[in-house]
Amino acid sequence: MSRYAMVIDLQRCTGCSSCSISCKNENNVSDGIYWSGKITETSGTFPNVRFHYIPTLCNHCEDAPCVRGCPTRAMHKLDNGITMHNPKKCIGCRYCMINCPYGVIYFNWSNPHEFWRDKRVLIKGGTSSPAEETRKVGGKEIPYYNPEREATLSGIRAKGVVEKCTFCDHRIKKGKLPRCVDACPADARIFGDLDDPKSQINKLIGKFRPFRLKESLGTKPGVFYIRDFSSAAYPRTKGGI
Amino acid sequence: MKLRIWIGLLGLGILLGLMTVYRVYTAGFVVYAKTDVLVWTLPLGAYIFFSLTSSGLAFVSSIPIVFGVKRYETIEKRTIFLEFAVLMGSFVCLILHLGSPLKVIYLMLSPNLASPLWWLATLYTIYLVIIVSAFWRIHTARTSKVLGVLVFLIAIATSTTLGWLMGMTDARPTLNASFFTMYFPLTAFISGLAAMLLFSLLTAYFSNREITQEKNALYNELARMLGIAAGLVLILFLWRSIIGGISSTAEGYLAFKHIIGSIPYNIELWLGLFIPSILMLIPSIRVTVWGKVTAGALLLIGMFAGRLEFVLSGVVRPLGQMAEGRPEFVSYMPTISEILVVVFGLSIMLLIYTLGDRFLKLEQVPE
Ligand code: SF4
Ligand code: SF4
Repeated sequence: MSRYAMVIDLQRCTGCSSCSISCKNENNVSDGIYWSGKITETSGTFPNVRFHYIPTLCNHCEDAPCVRGCPTRAMHKLDNGITMHNPKKCIGCRYCMINCPYGVIYFNWSNPHEFWRDKRVLIKGGTSSPAEETRKVGGKEIPYYNPEREATLSGIRAKGVVEKCTFCDHRIKKGKLPRCVDACPADARIFGDLDDPKSQINKLIGKFRPFRLKESLGTKPGVFYIRDFSSAAYPRTKGGI
Repeated sequence: MKLRIWIGLLGLGILLGLMTVYRVYTAGFVVYAKTDVLVWTLPLGAYIFFSLTSSGLAFVSSIPIVFGVKRYETIEKRTIFLEFAVLMGSFVCLILHLGSPLKVIYLMLSPNLASPLWWLATLYTIYLVIIVSAFWRIHTARTSKVLGVLVFLIAIATSTTLGWLMGMTDARPTLNASFFTMYFPLTAFISGLAAMLLFSLLTAYFSNREITQEKNALYNELARMLGIAAGLVLILFLWRSIIGGISSTAEGYLAFKHIIGSIPYNIELWLGLFIPSILMLIPSIRVTVWGKVTAGALLLIGMFAGRLEFVLSGVVRPLGQMAEGRPEFVSYMPTISEILVVVFGLSIMLLIYTLGDRFLKLEQVPE
């Protein structure tokens, strides 16, 4: 069996957010919810400052606290290492959100894609309403609905349940890479099988010194970060007193 | 007449609650002070308050059975009924906290025994069945031996499991404390004592019932117990703060600094613990009805604030990608709907208690 994981090369990542946008399209993710997100930091004081950009997503932790705490097994592990969610079993207790140290689980506070449900037109006889627009293009709830998502999860998750990244399990099943990996123009995301010693990710993990987020918590995240982007150079020095 | 006004008020509370239910299930949980960070707020705090008070009442009601103190039998039936009423209030708040309460059937169909939340749900269901049976036994056969012991055991289990639930969350330093497994049963006990005193005395006052000499002595004894226990809890509470302040990690220290400045923390400390223990340890105040009622009411208000403080302390600091674009601590102000959830729970609980007091002979003593 495979054990899927991802390497994110911070030197290649340009912070363009293609991963986040493509993820929203692929998974019909509603406003305010980010299966694919980021952590940005600014270090130093002006004029000596740097900006750091770390793309984030569910780490598909090997020892996932969100799974351990879920009372109904709605949040569960698949044999291939993916942390999966089943909205049908989710009671909306949000204990997984409390337990996840990475802030990657979101709750549907209201009906998703509220904007596209609106039946009001802006100019009577001139424009169509968002709901009509969706109907015209044959979408389901949203005009850009991706029906492929339905293969393993509700196409759009309902109000009152949580949701998060699934490593695009529906694409993996078809032998395709997760959409964010495919969409990354800089090839900063590398996906593969940790159990395959010859996989690209194992080569990169062995070659560089990877780090994972909050490793001290023992969650064993499946997202590894390598390198760090820096185009800066500085004259050789020993400092001074 | 007085009773009618009272029932009318409770009816109004329930009506407002039902309107909130409608809003929550049509507009969604946006009617709460929702942010992706504050995922547990007032409705859950209220649930914890009610459920722990119910467990505390269970400790009080099992004193005659478990510890063989016969004279407490006179309050057993009322206390058990109060346990039930308070538990119903907690269920109302819990249901309105859950995003999809109808799916709780999956607790049975797809159980996760590693989850403290699963255990909590299961234990509270068993608890409900046992207290209803125990009450029924006292009401019909006027005996409750085995069931009384079970009520005691399950009250320990529920209050400590709640500690496990919070203690498991390594991601949240303020909640990551085995402290809660001890703090919860203890605070449950003082909440139970306070609720028992408050409800018994207020019921006697409003229904113009004479408090017998024997009962009065018993209430004074309970009040002393309350003073001592609240004092002990105060020491524990202060130590929690001191440890957080002087010897924790930088992250823990930041959280501590935030908590001690918060309003709920100070309500719990001063109104909930300090003043009630002082009041109940001064004999001249302890023997008065107003003294006991004030101490009981303050303690319950303080505990309510404390449960909220404790829930918020776990969530006000955004984690990971949720912290993007957010301040270090997110502030919280309950919405009207959240407040109405509490009003709903409280009204249901008070209505059940009022009806029970009227029709179920709560003064009856088991044989
Ligand atoms: S990152 Fe969070 S949601 Fe994903 S597996 Fe780990 S604990 Fe669960
Ligand atoms: S919100 Fe849903 S997935 Fe998360 S712990 Fe509760 S039941 Fe499980």
